[in-house]
Amino acid sequence: MAKARKTKKSKSRKTTKKAHAKKKTSKSKSRKTPAKAEARKSRAKSIPPEPVKAMRLTFSYDGDDVKLISQQRAEMMVPPSDPLKGYGKHKGFWAELKNERDKTLYRHVMHNPTRNDAEVFPETPGQSISREPAPKRKGVFVVVVPDIDKGEEVTLSRSSPEAEGPASGLLSLASKPATEIMRFKLKK
Amino acid sequence: MGTSDGQVLGSTKIVDAGPAEQRWNVVIVSEGYRSDEMAQFATDAQQFADALMAATPFDRLRPAINIYRVDVMSQESGARDPAKCGGTGAKPRTYFDASFCNNNIRRLLIANDKRVLKVVGKQVPQWHMAFLAVNSPISGGSGGPVATFSKAPGALEIAIHEMGHTAFGLADEYEYYSNCAESGHNKHSGSEPSQPNITTNKNRASTKWRSMIQASTPVPTTTNADCAHCDPQPSPVAVGTIGLFEGADYYHCGVYRAEFDCRMRNLNRPFCAVCQQVIVKKLTPFLPT
Repeated sequence: MAKARKTKKSKSRKTTKKAHAKKKTSKSKSRKTPAKAEARKSRAKSIPPEPVKAMRLTFSYDGDDVKLISQQRAEMMVPPSDPLKGYGKHKGFWAELKNERDKTLYRHVMHNPTRNDAEVFPETPGQSISREPAPKRKGVFVVVVPDIDKGEEVTLSRSSPEAEGPASGLLSLASKPATEIMRFKLKK
Repeated sequence: MGTSDGQVLGSTKIVDAGPAEQRWNVVIVSEGYRSDEMAQFATDAQQFADALMAATPFDRLRPAINIYRVDVMSQESGARDPAKCGGTGAKPRTYFDASFCNNNIRRLLIANDKRVLKVVGKQVPQWHMAFLAVNSPISGGSGGPVATFSKAPGALEIAIHEMGHTAFGLADEYEYYSNCAESGHNKHSGSEPSQPNITTNKNRASTKWRSMIQASTPVPTTTNADCAHCDPQPSPVAVGTIGLFEGADYYHCGVYRAEFDCRMRNLNRPFCAVCQQVIVKKLTPFLPT
């Protein structure tokens, strides 16, 4: 039932979009690129950072293993969402808040917090930063998402490391598009 | 070892921009400070706050940012410094068990982040970014949920760089992994990075920060002639020019950064304009209306 509703809705949205695009063609053709329109749409649809309730999610990681260890409500503002569309083939790490139809409501792009290497800083100022493998790294990380009625689930997506070659096993050098590694329901 | 080696004394708002519920809240926690050193921590925390608020673009976002100091006293001063990494072998009793030599890397200074976050959550429930100031003169630090740094010269720079990662999702812009002589980091062959300050897209019309590139700036702005090494050429354009500079994200070629230099590439540099824009976009909603 939910699936059927979703299909119908997306079809009608598609039609409207098409008609709208046709109407605007002559005026917008020269200066509005599809990428610009996408970014604008994405911004418009992201959740405004009202002084709302937030859900603070704390995770632990140990190697590849990631676990949710707590969900805590807080009265605080959440920074605005990162773009909600156009990242299907991107690499990296991000968290998403989803509604019951699996639509992304909020997205937070992160510098992969589950790395198995470490940034090493120079002994003396002026020298370069570098990285070194740190295979035994484990720890915690935190994601904050808006605590809204429509928010049902949270997902984490991450690129897998290469299986061979010099980048083998290192998460910071993972080059493939990110895939979902975790999904759970938000506490209501 | 652990919480029996000290005590949480409380928190103080040292930069007050308004109610915590409506601002972006930074917390700085002490580690390895004895009770008779807490006044020193107050000075160190204030110095940190001043440095952060003086850094562009945070200087323009002052009304959006609160900074809290969380005083945690330890039985003994400093951090563990294992002899196996060439350290002194010191094992002071501290609240968060901070130690150098994690994963046998001398300057990798890590504490019990879970414990730090528990304290921060209790003291400032609305926190957005947490720092741990370790009372040690030895150079070190680390990123992650808690940006950890020591009192060595330049340590504040480490903290601000790490904040770029943790709070704003910025990528590293240096074009090597461990050094420029390494092999295996010639060409970035992967998908488009999700981070906002690096890209594999060298198309002027569609690249991430296209709106910030002037028509007169060549794109790509620099190209690395020898992908087996880092690009040795100096910037061909004026400082601050936004374009596509080849080399970033631990690879010599095939991935681009927005400016020749940036705080996400080297310490003691300002954030580049693209990183600044990301920070401003994230923090603008926290400004008073």
